[in-house]
Amino acid sequence: MIQKSDDIIIKTLARILVPFIQLYALYVIMHGHHSPGGGFQGGVILAASLILLMITHGVKDTQKRISEKAVAIFSSSGVFIYAGIGVACLILAGNYLDYSKLAKLLHVVPAEARSLGILGVEIGVGLAVMAVMFSVFFNISKGESSGEDKEN
Amino acid sequence: MEVTLLIEAMDTSFRLMENARSQAVDLLNTAVKLTSETRTMEEKNVRAIFTGAQETKSSFQNLVVTFLMLFAFWVLLSGKYDLFHLTLGVVCSLLIAYLTHDLLFANVRVGDARVIAWRFFAYIPWLLYQIITSNIYVASVVLGPKQRVKPQIIRFKTKLESDISWVTLANSITLTPGTITMDIRDGEFFVHALDKKVADDLHAGEMEDRIAHVYMEADHIYVQDALDVAPIFGKLKKGL
Repeated sequence: MIQKSDDIIIKTLARILVPFIQLYALYVIMHGHHSPGGGFQGGVILAASLILLMITHGVKDTQKRISEKAVAIFSSSGVFIYAGIGVACLILAGNYLDYSKLAKLLHVVPAEARSLGILGVEIGVGLAVMAVMFSVFFNISKGESSGEDKEN
Repeated sequence: MEVTLLIEAMDTSFRLMENARSQAVDLLNTAVKLTSETRTMEEKNVRAIFTGAQETKSSFQNLVVTFLMLFAFWVLLSGKYDLFHLTLGVVCSLLIAYLTHDLLFANVRVGDARVIAWRFFAYIPWLLYQIITSNIYVASVVLGPKQRVKPQIIRFKTKLESDISWVTLANSITLTPGTITMDIRDGEFFVHALDKKVADDLHAGEMEDRIAHVYMEADHIYVQDALDVAPIFGKLKKGL
């Protein structure tokens, strides 16, 4: 189990930085069209902010903020958003992930609908990536601690 | 005859001194007890009256200020000021402010946030001036003869109370060339200084005073002094 750090400088600065890191991650996801970034990169940065919180404040405090159950729900809902947009295009008499068919639903030009559709799947990808990376780190750290318990 | 009188006189005087000392001990005991009692009673009263209203108000204030700071950061990052991206920025900032508003401002007393923010921004120019002057001094020391460099580690306790003021002091010390904060252990700072002049500047405590002014701390010293005297006093009593 990762213990809470007893260095006050690290704890204070980490907790002040986390909101800005998360906002930067959302900025990277939303501006995938215009600047480097996109879904996967933003999701990794979001996961990194949560891992920073975990290694400075310990596992228990981080679990109070985001429980294992919430992480599992996020990963599934990320995939659901991605597949859901694809299936919605299918239902509207197009191909799978043919975003132009969403124009009728959103009342915009087909080109704009493609842009919005890609934004939607990027959000889904970001959510899923964040959840999976965080849960991988969390499970590895938990596996470490249970190995230590068996030794003791 | 004179010797017994002398011995009796000495005996009485010793007994009188014992009585005086035990009376002084009792007096100081009650004084310490009363100050600590009043302090805990004050704190309890304040907490009882203001808890509910204060917590909700401070949490809403935290939310709003966090949202504003995050939105300003978004506008700075994103070069696009059309309605779609700004709305996205508002939504994202609101979401993150809702999830993490208690992280950014954990220990601020209600009503003081604006004053503290203003004083913090007024502190930054002074810090920059200190950085420039220390830079010049360290450059002069380093370019001079090697004997002028006498590194030393100093430790001192501060009068600051909250974690964010400790971190501000530690970062300010590290930012000014010539001193580096190594550790903060049990409320005591361990600082590595380049030579005696920088160490003396640190011991003079001007930076500490200014940071105490920024975060509005160390302004109720009289009660804290009595509570600080109490353990020393307890040791004296044991020796009696």
